[in-house]
Amino acid sequence: MILPAILAAQKSDFDILAKDWLDAGASTFSIWADGVSLATWSAGGSPQPAALVEPITVNSVKIGELHLAGLCQPAHRLRLQAQAGFIAQIARLERDLNSMAADLIDTQDQLLALYDLTQATRNYLNPEETLARLAFETARLVKAEAAFFWVHMKGRLPIFQQYPRPILTEEALQNYMNLMKESRREFLFSRGNADEQALGVRNMLIVPIKVRDAGTAVMGMLNKFDGDFNSPDIKLAGAIAEFTGAQIENVIMYQVNVEQARLETEMDLAQRIQVHLLPQKPPGVVGLDLWAASWPASRVGGDFYDFIIGTNQPFTFTVGDISGKGVPAALLMAMTRTVIRTKTNVMPMPTPQVVMGRSNQELYDDFTKLSMFATVFVGQYDSSNRKLLYANAGHSPVIYCPAGGKAHLLRADGTPMGILPDSLSKDQGIDFQPGDVLVVATDGFSEARNTQDNEFGYDRLVSLVESIADQSARGIAETLYRTVANFSNGAAQSDDQTLVVLKGIGA
Amino acid sequence: MEINVRSAENVKILELAGRFDTYTADTARQSIEQAMAEEPANIVVNLEKVDFVDSTALATLVHGLKRSRELQGDLRLCHLQQSVRMVFELTRLDRFFEIFAREDEAVQAFAR
Repeated sequence: MILPAILAAQKSDFDILAKDWLDAGASTFSIWADGVSLATWSAGGSPQPAALVEPITVNSVKIGELHLAGLCQPAHRLRLQAQAGFIAQIARLERDLNSMAADLIDTQDQLLALYDLTQATRNYLNPEETLARLAFETARLVKAEAAFFWVHMKGRLPIFQQYPRPILTEEALQNYMNLMKESRREFLFSRGNADEQALGVRNMLIVPIKVRDAGTAVMGMLNKFDGDFNSPDIKLAGAIAEFTGAQIENVIMYQVNVEQARLETEMDLAQRIQVHLLPQKPPGVVGLDLWAASWPASRVGGDFYDFIIGTNQPFTFTVGDISGKGVPAALLMAMTRTVIRTKTNVMPMPTPQVVMGRSNQELYDDFTKLSMFATVFVGQYDSSNRKLLYANAGHSPVIYCPAGGKAHLLRADGTPMGILPDSLSKDQGIDFQPGDVLVVATDGFSEARNTQDNEFGYDRLVSLVESIADQSARGIAETLYRTVANFSNGAAQSDDQTLVVLKGIGA
Repeated sequence: MEINVRSAENVKILELAGRFDTYTADTARQSIEQAMAEEPANIVVNLEKVDFVDSTALATLVHGLKRSRELQGDLRLCHLQQSVRMVFELTRLDRFFEIFAREDEAVQAFAR
């Protein structure tokens, strides 16, 4: 059908061509297609049969003929052949141009369709709603009765959205997907089998959707209103599938971000709560210079310290370390701190051993259920006689340095809380005179490691305390933190670091 | 962390190797539970090749011991490296666990 179009567009050129032939002595020159003359130029006189006929051939297909009557010399044949070739060349160019224009229109249609999709889905922030809307828009764009999306992202439940109603079961869809996997291309049928016809499915097209992170996704459309799904439909479906893949990833990423922000806020709150559970500043106790600090390795930790001042009771302080890390340890830290505080406050003259024993009884079952334990140091300082009484349930390092003397570890006698139903920790006493130093730290100090994986260790810690024992309680604490941080030399703090420093001072 | 499980005279021997900490404790916990699934729940944990334990690792062993005792068995430790032994001593978990110098001693102790 291309020859009539060329003829109409280039009529004047064909007139010149024909006039040339007629001037050269031809009686008629005509152009034919499909056995019908499209145009005839005649010199007059009676019509004669064509003496020369030349086919016009494009890509081995004859699209028409040039007929010449009244001339039949070899030179005429060559000239007519050249003209047929020339017209074929024009036809070829015309055809290429048409197909490029058609492609351009297709592309433009697809762009418009995708623009529609973008507009339609931009307000949806969850995958279910986005896919439901995409199913509706897809059916509209490909002019099909129904459309569906099935998306299964790693670590999430599959989402199956069908518009306007559920037609396929997930099982049936899986079968189609298996066929797709084998053929590694889109799945298309024009006439459903008996089962499909029973479901009202005449024809169907399913295309894969590329999604990241080992996800699987497909989209499909059923029952095209006007005939069968054809190659422009496959192209359009491919474009929608590509858009959908990106859209799903965006929506899921948004959800992950929202979830992360929520967790972040909760962790912030947890951190604030935990910080507030620790005494904000050390109390004033006659005969003591006191300092305490706690640096968790992550946002929240399992270390704690506490100062308890009751009426008619000696000053009581505790340091504890819950096994494990992070949120589980932080939860038990809050519980342990409260139990010890309550036991200390409700008993008339609670010694550290009694506080430890009662608290352990109360916490033992919970610790056992949760497979956790806590090392705890409970100390009591009596200003009236400068006696320090303590009980130690598996806690270390506890370093005692008498004024001007050698620093050494005060080792625990009992197992940590939560290990045995009955505590083994007994009361131990030391005189605590001016200049004496007690550092009750957690193993985050002794077990700190540097980038060469060397441990700070107990020996270094004990010597350090001895060498700085002349400083104030705060000075000792700050030097310990600073020295261990310098030792770590940029290696991440792997465990919480908590300490309470007591220094005897003159009354 | 590598875990090698062997059987000897009604006892399962778990040979652990490497760092035993928060990140590897779950694997050890599963191995211990698996070893206790079959009666008797008699376990020997050989720590000869373990160079580091943290509190999560200790909690895992504590859980193993409590669980084995519930099942009328026991969990015993042997071959502790110096640094690991010190952790048991400082936390006084040496008062909770039966600790043996050699594996055969730990295994024979079950026969008594």
